[in-house]
Amino acid sequence: MASRHVTKRAKYKTTIKDPGTPGTLRLTLEKILFVPHNPKSAGKLDVEFRFIKGQKHTKEGSNKPPWLNLTNNQNGSFIFEFENYSDLQYCRDFVGKVLAKSGEVSEKPTVTYPDEQLSAAEMELRIKLLQEDSELQKLHKQFVLSDVLTEAEFWATRKKLLDTEANKKTKQRLGFKSAMISDIRPSTDGRTNKVTFNLTPEIILQIFAEKPAVHRAFLSYVPNKMSEKVFWTKYFRAEYLHSTKNSIAAAAEAAEDEELAVFLKLDDILASEARWKIRRVDPTLDMEADEGDDYTHLPDHGIFRDGSKDMTESQNELYRRTLSQDINRHAAVVLEGRAVDVDLDDTRAVAEALAWSKQESSTKRESDGDTNQERLARVSRMTEIEDLQGPNNLPSAPLCIKDPRDYFDSQQANALRTSGDALGRTEQIKCSLSTQEVYGSLRQSISVIKAMGLKDPIVKPEVAHQVFDALTNSISTTKYHIGKNPHESVLDRLPKKTKDELLHHWTSILELLKHFWASYPITTSYLYTKVNRLKDAISNIYPQLEEIKGSVPSELRHQVSLLVHPMLQALDAAIQHYEADMQKRSTGSVDKPNGYV
Amino acid sequence: MPQVKIIAKNFMDMVASLPAIKLDMLYRNQFICEAILRSLPPLAKKYVLQMLYIDVPITSKSLQEWVIADGSSKHKVAIDRLIQLRVLEVIDRKKETAYKLNSTFQTNLRKHLINGGILPREPMPSNVTARLPTLEELDAYAHGQWECFLLQLISSGQAERSTSFSSSMMRIFQRGLLRQREKEVPRLTESGFQFLLMDTNAQLWYVIREYISNSEEQGVDQADLIAFLLELSFHTTGEAYSLNTLTDDQRAMIKDLADLGLVKLQQGRKESWFIPTKLATNLSVSLTDSSLRKQGFVVVETNFRLYAYSSSKLHCEILRLFSRVEYQLPNLIVGAITKESLYNAFENGITAEQIITFLQQNAHPRVAEKTPAVPENVTDQIRLWETDLNRVEMTPAHCYDEFPSRDVFEAASDFARVHCGLLWEDPKKMRMVVKAEIHMLMREHLRGNK
Amino acid sequence: MASAPSKLYADDVSLVVVLLDTNPFFWSSSSLSFLQFLSHVLSFLNSILTLNQLNQVVVIATGYNSCDYIFDSSLDLKRSLENGRMPVMCSSLLQKLEEFSFKDEQLSKEEPEGRIKCSLLSGSLSMALCYIQRVFRSGALHPHPRILCLQGSPDGPEQYVAIMNAIFSAQRSVVPIDSCYMGAQNSAFLQQASYITGGVHHKPQNLDGLFQYLMTIFAADLHSRSFLHLPKPVGVDFRASCFCHKNTIDMGYICSVCLSIFCKHHKKCSTCGSVFGQAQSEAASASDKKRKTPET
Repeated sequence: MASRHVTKRAKYKTTIKDPGTPGTLRLTLEKILFVPHNPKSAGKLDVEFRFIKGQKHTKEGSNKPPWLNLTNNQNGSFIFEFENYSDLQYCRDFVGKVLAKSGEVSEKPTVTYPDEQLSAAEMELRIKLLQEDSELQKLHKQFVLSDVLTEAEFWATRKKLLDTEANKKTKQRLGFKSAMISDIRPSTDGRTNKVTFNLTPEIILQIFAEKPAVHRAFLSYVPNKMSEKVFWTKYFRAEYLHSTKNSIAAAAEAAEDEELAVFLKLDDILASEARWKIRRVDPTLDMEADEGDDYTHLPDHGIFRDGSKDMTESQNELYRRTLSQDINRHAAVVLEGRAVDVDLDDTRAVAEALAWSKQESSTKRESDGDTNQERLARVSRMTEIEDLQGPNNLPSAPLCIKDPRDYFDSQQANALRTSGDALGRTEQIKCSLSTQEVYGSLRQSISVIKAMGLKDPIVKPEVAHQVFDALTNSISTTKYHIGKNPHESVLDRLPKKTKDELLHHWTSILELLKHFWASYPITTSYLYTKVNRLKDAISNIYPQLEEIKGSVPSELRHQVSLLVHPMLQALDAAIQHYEADMQKRSTGSVDKPNGYV
Repeated sequence: MPQVKIIAKNFMDMVASLPAIKLDMLYRNQFICEAILRSLPPLAKKYVLQMLYIDVPITSKSLQEWVIADGSSKHKVAIDRLIQLRVLEVIDRKKETAYKLNSTFQTNLRKHLINGGILPREPMPSNVTARLPTLEELDAYAHGQWECFLLQLISSGQAERSTSFSSSMMRIFQRGLLRQREKEVPRLTESGFQFLLMDTNAQLWYVIREYISNSEEQGVDQADLIAFLLELSFHTTGEAYSLNTLTDDQRAMIKDLADLGLVKLQQGRKESWFIPTKLATNLSVSLTDSSLRKQGFVVVETNFRLYAYSSSKLHCEILRLFSRVEYQLPNLIVGAITKESLYNAFENGITAEQIITFLQQNAHPRVAEKTPAVPENVTDQIRLWETDLNRVEMTPAHCYDEFPSRDVFEAASDFARVHCGLLWEDPKKMRMVVKAEIHMLMREHLRGNK
Repeated sequence: MASAPSKLYADDVSLVVVLLDTNPFFWSSSSLSFLQFLSHVLSFLNSILTLNQLNQVVVIATGYNSCDYIFDSSLDLKRSLENGRMPVMCSSLLQKLEEFSFKDEQLSKEEPEGRIKCSLLSGSLSMALCYIQRVFRSGALHPHPRILCLQGSPDGPEQYVAIMNAIFSAQRSVVPIDSCYMGAQNSAFLQQASYITGGVHHKPQNLDGLFQYLMTIFAADLHSRSFLHLPKPVGVDFRASCFCHKNTIDMGYICSVCLSIFCKHHKKCSTCGSVFGQAQSEAASASDKKRKTPET
């Protein structure tokens, strides 16, 4: 557990209306201690945690103050008001853990399988699962608390339930940061004229992705023409000149250094890409933004490149355009996500991988050329906007293997069925004729009907009436048999208590048998004792089932015994197997050197 | 404001209202039997099928036996309809109701099952007719013709333009949809505006119904017309049928139907023929509105803006009836529902409910999946604006006072309450106001008390 | 106003895919002649088409060796005045049926004798489902589909897996399978098919009135069924066929990995290859069988 105690400021209240005594709340694993600020006031509190039964608290966002209400086992309660919700949450979690722990301890007093060390979180999850599923809780109570199964055994068959929580966290690929590269600020030390840029592999990748021209330059210059270090120095020099708007200096330097000029030119690759994008804009929609949306010209609005807002008006237009281009470009790169998956430290490798993935997308783009035609056709059709079209899912029902309880029904009905349908034997069609003859007679019927037309009348009115009456009759009798609702099952006619008991026995028998059969073949002494335990539990069920049979009124007894019958059969099979196995063990133990005797 | 509401009464209601002799006459025609069967509610169809080969009466109890409790209302509707159309004959015996199929109907339907349908008339061989329009062309034609008819209706209400419709069709419009005062351009009536908001099928039936009752005034037998219309629906879409096979009345009718787009007329070298379109062959499809339902196109937002994905001029005009159309893109009409636009609509006699139903029925499939398809705040506001106009309600009433005693007063007020006619009472001064409808009853009551 | 517009037509428009049992071995031994059967079924189909202009009927012949589409009302429903003797649909259907029967016979020449004389139900079920899937995927509106099996031949246990797969995929795509069984004993496959997919299974008592059964029970469209009691069979035969010998069993071994069913103990699962643990001794093995279904 993370901490052994918590101390927070809080007000202690005896009732909700009570204004409360300000003081300090200290929670330890054993105790709750409250000391008022004013030593004279009466609110001092010292309670042991084992008296605390549960906790309630107000929700954040509700208009109530952050209250924590601890109830003790005499139905009294302690209310603490915290200063804020985070304090409340902290204390709530702590209390939750302590309560969970103490609850667990009291629930399983002695049998703890030695190799089981559970974290509090796992424990909490189990408790939560039990609380959510009353059927599970019943089973847990019945078997774990009565030592038929150990805690570990019980949960071992329900790993899936325990796993779900962990599975929810899916791994996510790391994307680009949403900060723009223009945010890489040079750090100046104020005294000298030196300007320092901090360059990390992450930033390099981002620069490559957002500025194709730099990327291209890197590929062609490094390492043949200059070293990586020189390259980046030049780049940032250009960037710096650009950002300070020192255009004269920039022009002068560019004249001297052609490599530097590359960085100062407008990115032609970007331009061509933008042109390509514009060509793809769907002309059926006018996406031009409202004039009112553009408020960058207002004071205190907009994004500035480096904190300096003092620009001349003439520059403003160009500046705005490049800025929006930069933002769009950045957004596109961030949305595209990380295309390459290489070690970031090797800049050269990164650059190449990026180039490769670009190439792929550009070949894709060439094939897009044909789609131009299609696009024009689309325009002419004035089709609807894609996102307004319905999902193309076909209706499908979840695959359902029927509720096993339905088998009770069929069971019942099969028992009721009087007309012997001669189940179980496949009757061979008596066929005295040869293949040729039978096909011949089939075709003869076809040609007869072709020549003569359909029989008139198709059915004799008397027969039709007879059939209708018979069907109506059977409908009304089944209605009588199965009750008004056609979906009602046999179970629903039993008294509720009997029904619940039957269902509970059914699930508990399933649980026991699952463990029983899973223990075979017996290879360890542990399994041996487990099987014995299970067998005892199984034999205990017999009298209970008998009791149920006896408890129902006589007219339902037959039905109940029909329902109980398969349970008994399943139990019998297990007992029989157990005995056979024991017998074999006692006689043939010599044959099994590895087996446990 | 008077509440006018035109109901697109089902065509079969009209058939059902025919006198018994005429109905029996109709059932001699196999097509009519088939068309009637198709028009029935699903459960009724099943009843007819299962009784088809039974000659003896079937007790109503044995039919009821098959229906589960939830379906008993459907069962009642089905049986009522069958009796109304005289398909089922009721036989009462020994206090037990029993049903039997109309024997003419039964024989004809049996014959149909065994022998198959016979065609009303033979299509013309393809060597006589020139190139026939394809089904798509025909659909487009029918659609265009129908829209043209509706646009005509709208524009004749707005601008004076000579109508291309025949006089008999115009008469139908004037029966209810248009109003022409002397020396004035015809104006759409309240029912005319409401008509525009109905769906195509309902509109079609409305027109056909008006047409039939109109022709009846001119001495054409209603049953004949119904028979012909139903017969028409059994022709094959896209085939050509010679006009020579028709009677004079029918030929006159075909011309009118062509105006509506039910059939397309074509002229060959020697003969002329008609080609039924989908509108005609759908006449006998079970006349529920959903079977012909088209894809919706309107999206209404909570901010009262309205987007209609349509390039149709008609849609634009219809939307204009109750909203302010702001702009029209090639495939999109954008408008807003405003108080002014709605007042305009209310003045024309369109009700809030009609507007809301129109918006709901034509909701774009993507918003139609949601409930409600039209945002609640919009529908509520439309209703509120409508009630704004109806603050004062007129109820004809009578005032009673000077009661001789409190007992008489109380007895009278109880009496009025029992008959749901009490509007207001003042026990102190012993006065009350009672609806005019029960005035006579009140008088009787008061006289009796004396 | 109509609720959310689905891709369906109005409530009662239906697409009925009818699987016609044309197994000659069955019909030569049946009390109901094929002639009568055809005349009942054809008038039934005709009445379905009469009920609604948009209704659609597809007929698939389930033969002894093969199966094939023999009628599709969306393709050849041209009313023409060919002969006034019987519905036009019938003549084209009968023509196709005759051709089909020749083909089916050809195939049976290569067949060794002694096979159970069952028909190829699994094949025609799959064809029906394929057809329905195509309808689902084409166009905006489609009728409500259902499958009707008119079967007389006994179950072919060797088709168990294929049929069960077809049944489950029908259930998944919400296509009810109705079944009308005309043979001597009841068919476990069809009972399960109708039970799992929510269709109706019925075994007519009086085959002379087959038409009346069809009209009363199977003509009801899916919409009306929600208001009707239709005959509900008492109890369903849930027995399965084992994968190894294709026997119908009610107790057997089940592979714990892939749920394959075997009638006797194997060392290895033939379906998924899992190796099973050692068998218990002979004495124990009798009780070791896990229950597949409750005893019938």
